[in-house]
Amino acid sequence: MGVCTCLPSRDREGVGSRNAGKSTSVVRAGMMLPLILAVYAGPQDRALIARLQRRDPQALAELYDFYGKMAYSLVLRVVRDKAIAEDLVQETFLRVWNRVHSMDCEKGSIGPWLLAIARNRAIDYLRSSAGRERNAVELDEADHAPLYHRMEAEILLSDQARRVKAAMDKLAPNYRTVMELAYFEGLSQSEMAAKMGQPLGTIKTWVRTALQSLRDELGVAVSS
Amino acid sequence: MNCEELREHYDFYALDIAEEPERGEIRAHLNRKCEVCMAGVKRALETSTMIGASAPAAQPSAQLRRRILASVGSEERRSSWLPAWMAAAAIAAVLVVAVYFAVSSQRYADQAAKLAGEMRSQTAQIVRLTEAFAILSGPSTTEVSFGGAQPRPPQGKVFVNPSRGVLLIASNLPRTPADKIYEMWLIRKGANPVPAGLFQSQDDGSAMHIRPGTVDLASTAAVAVTVENQAGADQPTTTPLIVAALGGSTPR
Repeated sequence: MGVCTCLPSRDREGVGSRNAGKSTSVVRAGMMLPLILAVYAGPQDRALIARLQRRDPQALAELYDFYGKMAYSLVLRVVRDKAIAEDLVQETFLRVWNRVHSMDCEKGSIGPWLLAIARNRAIDYLRSSAGRERNAVELDEADHAPLYHRMEAEILLSDQARRVKAAMDKLAPNYRTVMELAYFEGLSQSEMAAKMGQPLGTIKTWVRTALQSLRDELGVAVSS
Repeated sequence: MNCEELREHYDFYALDIAEEPERGEIRAHLNRKCEVCMAGVKRALETSTMIGASAPAAQPSAQLRRRILASVGSEERRSSWLPAWMAAAAIAAVLVVAVYFAVSSQRYADQAAKLAGEMRSQTAQIVRLTEAFAILSGPSTTEVSFGGAQPRPPQGKVFVNPSRGVLLIASNLPRTPADKIYEMWLIRKGANPVPAGLFQSQDDGSAMHIRPGTVDLASTAAVAVTVENQAGADQPTTTPLIVAALGGSTPR
């Protein structure tokens, strides 16, 4: 896989400048912030991926500045140990650094990809430390980097995160529980069925219903 | 399995909770770039990614950023002055501590040397006092007083024990010049005086001097003290300041 040469003129508009844009936009633009961020998000991801593929350490620093706290928050929620969370986040960024060539800089959305790696590292650790069965065939994020191509960048904006959290809070307790057990605890469907004392079919239904409810809630939120 | 059959499992796959055989089937479709499954799984991943981004915000330590950059062989350029400053401060602190301990160590060594000196001095003093006590308490010791007839003469006593030595206890001794010292002599009958040791008086003019060893009372006429040069003399060079004639000594 070759190194991207796209968007060299946009390099200086990396994530760092995106952050700068965010801070000033808060003052100047008020309610326009989500739109401004959405507009800014795409091209800089491409430039950032290109710079990472050229082994620019400053690009990694910018990547960390933008996604480091988010990745750490996610991993800490899963493993519930600060030191282990930091180790896993370091491992995550190293994995991105080493495998960024599998991402198409014209199409890639590096944030969602990085979060998927972080979550997979955390769940893998959780399953290993608990002596639970690890998936024989894991979702290999590097092999499937194309899955993160052209993914909507604004799904990781803080405003969207608040909407997701609100939507999660609106879920019925059993739906919210299966979502948390699946996403943050890494339990398999069978493990969830055993933990909740429910038939496997019920768990499948609850997961599907919970996800559909989230989409419906977020769809309403976005359209409004 | 075809894409339609797999469609309801995309969410499970995105959450990493899909089970076999659906998991393997979806993976196979993705590996052969199945556009339907790629699009379906990507939509599912968007939802699961949003769930991940909704985790309660937490702040990693400041060291994590440096660790990550260091792990790819990059130094933190923007704040590189800080580690340098911290390193300089650390070095300065180490130097201060080292100097402190060196000074303290030297001070303790000096104190130890001083105490050792004092101990040696006190030990020597104890030895002298023990010798003096042995002479004073010896049954064969005789004593002679001197200086009683002079206006403010050196006064004192000489104690002679044939087997233990001579003990001189004096007072009113004048301060000797800087390059001079007192020297005690055993004045023998019909022979040259025998040097019996050098001593200095205290600030108050007192002195105690011992010449340990045997003394032949039969051949010794007197005990005398002269002022001599610092190195002492083989024979008296000045008029004796003290002369205690043993002929008039009395047994104790």
